[in-house]
Amino acid sequence: MVAREPARPLGRRRVLQAGAALGAVGAAQITSPFIVKALGEEPVKLGLVDPLTGVYSVLATSEVEGARLAVEQINKKGGVMGRELQLLVEDSANDVGTGVQKIRKLIDQDHVTVTYGDVNSGIAYAISQVAAEKGVLHIVPGGHTDPITGKDCSWNVFRICNTTAMDANAISSLLIKKFGKRWYFITPDYAYGQTLQAAFIKNLEAVGGTYVAELLPLATSDFSASLIKAKAFKPNVLLNNMGGLAQIDCMKQFIEFGMAKDMALGGALYEIESVLAVPREAQAGWWDMEWWWDQPGVPHVKEFVDAIVARTKKPASARHWFGYVGVNAAALAIEKAKSLKAIDLAHALAGMELPPEVALQPGKVYFRTEDHELMPNVFTGEVHPPPAGDPYNIFKVAELVPAEKADPLASTGCHMKFPS
Amino acid sequence: MRPGGDTTAALRGAAERRWAVLAGIWVVLIAAPFWLPLVHGYTSLGSRILVLGLAAMSVNFLIGFTGVVSFGHAAYFGLGVYGAGMMLRYVTASTPLALVAGILLGGGAGVVVGAMICRSRGIYFAMITIAFEQIFYYIAYKWDSVTGGYDGLRGFQRAPIHFGLFTLDIKHSDLAFYYFVLVVFAIVAGVMGFLLRSPFGRTLLAIRENERRARFLGIAVDLHIWLSFSISAFCIGAAGALYAMVNNFSDPSSLYFDLSGDLVIMAVMGGIRSFWGPLLGAAIFEVLQDYISSRTVNWLFFIGLVFVIVVMFFPRGLLGMFQRRRAA
Repeated sequence: MVAREPARPLGRRRVLQAGAALGAVGAAQITSPFIVKALGEEPVKLGLVDPLTGVYSVLATSEVEGARLAVEQINKKGGVMGRELQLLVEDSANDVGTGVQKIRKLIDQDHVTVTYGDVNSGIAYAISQVAAEKGVLHIVPGGHTDPITGKDCSWNVFRICNTTAMDANAISSLLIKKFGKRWYFITPDYAYGQTLQAAFIKNLEAVGGTYVAELLPLATSDFSASLIKAKAFKPNVLLNNMGGLAQIDCMKQFIEFGMAKDMALGGALYEIESVLAVPREAQAGWWDMEWWWDQPGVPHVKEFVDAIVARTKKPASARHWFGYVGVNAAALAIEKAKSLKAIDLAHALAGMELPPEVALQPGKVYFRTEDHELMPNVFTGEVHPPPAGDPYNIFKVAELVPAEKADPLASTGCHMKFPS
Repeated sequence: MRPGGDTTAALRGAAERRWAVLAGIWVVLIAAPFWLPLVHGYTSLGSRILVLGLAAMSVNFLIGFTGVVSFGHAAYFGLGVYGAGMMLRYVTASTPLALVAGILLGGGAGVVVGAMICRSRGIYFAMITIAFEQIFYYIAYKWDSVTGGYDGLRGFQRAPIHFGLFTLDIKHSDLAFYYFVLVVFAIVAGVMGFLLRSPFGRTLLAIRENERRARFLGIAVDLHIWLSFSISAFCIGAAGALYAMVNNFSDPSSLYFDLSGDLVIMAVMGGIRSFWGPLLGAAIFEVLQDYISSRTVNWLFFIGLVFVIVVMFFPRGLLGMFQRRRAA
């Protein structure tokens, strides 16, 4: 039975109902009104889906900032084909279902010309599949799993960040030469980690090395058991392949366990966002950077770095560069093809060389025609704590390894097919 | 109850009103693809709301109408997702078979788990449901060669349905897919509604209201909870199978307890004592996420805020509030 309430002239429920009605009116006010525009005024829309919440949020935010900078610069110069560029950003919340929903929203409702995403390789896969179904050009700025441009490559999908094979091959010989052939892996248990570790092991076994490998869930936060095992194994190098917050936690515990004096640190990716989040003692080891901000003498780099620092009050990172290249590549393709059709854009992008103000590094940087993978340099070198007064100076480049050398075409497994 | 009125007329009035409400709901659902674009929506958002709404209604079959709280129902949802996904990926590209596979995998697991846990109550019941869910999650996570591991199961698509004379192309047409989802939704929701109005459903309500008294009356309480758990698992398995087709993708996050929590939130927001409440809750949850997360990364804060407001001011949920007013 329901208790009756005494009648009140202005009850709680009435106040709430009024509030809800006001809220509805308010919501109608903030959504944009429907205005008919001439086609020439319609902006060219780009849609980015990234995990702005969750373990990869910091990396995703950097990609968005880089992309926004590129959009602003292009619009300042008059846009593409005389039309303004517009970037729409959606949060995948690090969840495949949400990511797929958001990419559908961008394509069906917002009619974007190019879609982007995601930092999480699993979501990157799923949404590039949706883009393929809908016949939309899709660019993966920073999801590393190999098959995206390997055995599962597709005519409409391009990727900017490196494959795991590139990253592993670029640093392997350096680690062997510097420290020795006894390695201990701490690797996240999903396609990215598995393919990365396999590439490392292949290089290690080729020179007769030994290793122990620990595969852990992606969101591990307690590494004590693995680190105790690592201590007992006495490796020359500990390869920490974890990503995002997990890598940071692992580094912190490595220092707390006092292991820094027993073994060297190294591996594929130790992104600047992560390095700046760990204690000084853990800012060490030999790693890859997929792009590095301090390149004295290379044209245009300083302007880009200054613009990013001015916008974000943070150092320019590889993730900023991914977002920046993504937008610029689309704009260049649209200008080259004089079309917004995905198939024309894909043909324009395949084999396209990036101009120096976008490539922002020495050498030829281009999209490989056969698998649609960008071919930049891998920056290998040593991470160190920043000297006083120079907080972003945490990496010394030892060598630039061209991507073609690190990941020759024969090994990718891609058979590119365009629709006829 | 109406004091002083003609009881028969009042009952007839109530029945008419119920039919009117029901008709209203179905008109809104059937017309959704046509009015959604007018309010900045889109058809595939409608499909997603129906699927998650069905999942929340299945959870509510247990919570709202049997009085047992499960925080592990994403397990059977996720098994539905994998059942459908694996059927499409490994066996045959047939949508009806995928649906059946999802229902059987989700429901079958629910039958087995339900039999093991139907004697527990309260917090113990909730904890065990979470434990079983984690088991299924790690199986999906670890069994790389079959489930695709953390990266998920890819490489399948929902297939057009052949009816002999004509073909329903749910693969390419979002509109056709929406109506396919709506039909499945109608069948499953219809089964749940029918069961709840049967003596079996009344027995569940009796258990919810006073388990000890129900036991004294000679009702096999554990058996009924087991049956309710199993039915709810079959229904949520169907929702899972549809979800696999919404995304054309299966991944372990559909088995994770985060999702169970979301489903309970949807049910509570909409109203756990009302049959349609969870659908409304799912619609609010998804629309809030869809709209607000395009504008701010702090969208979870707003969902939390709405949830807190609902729980504080409408403890019976949004639909529950209306029912209460009518009753008063």
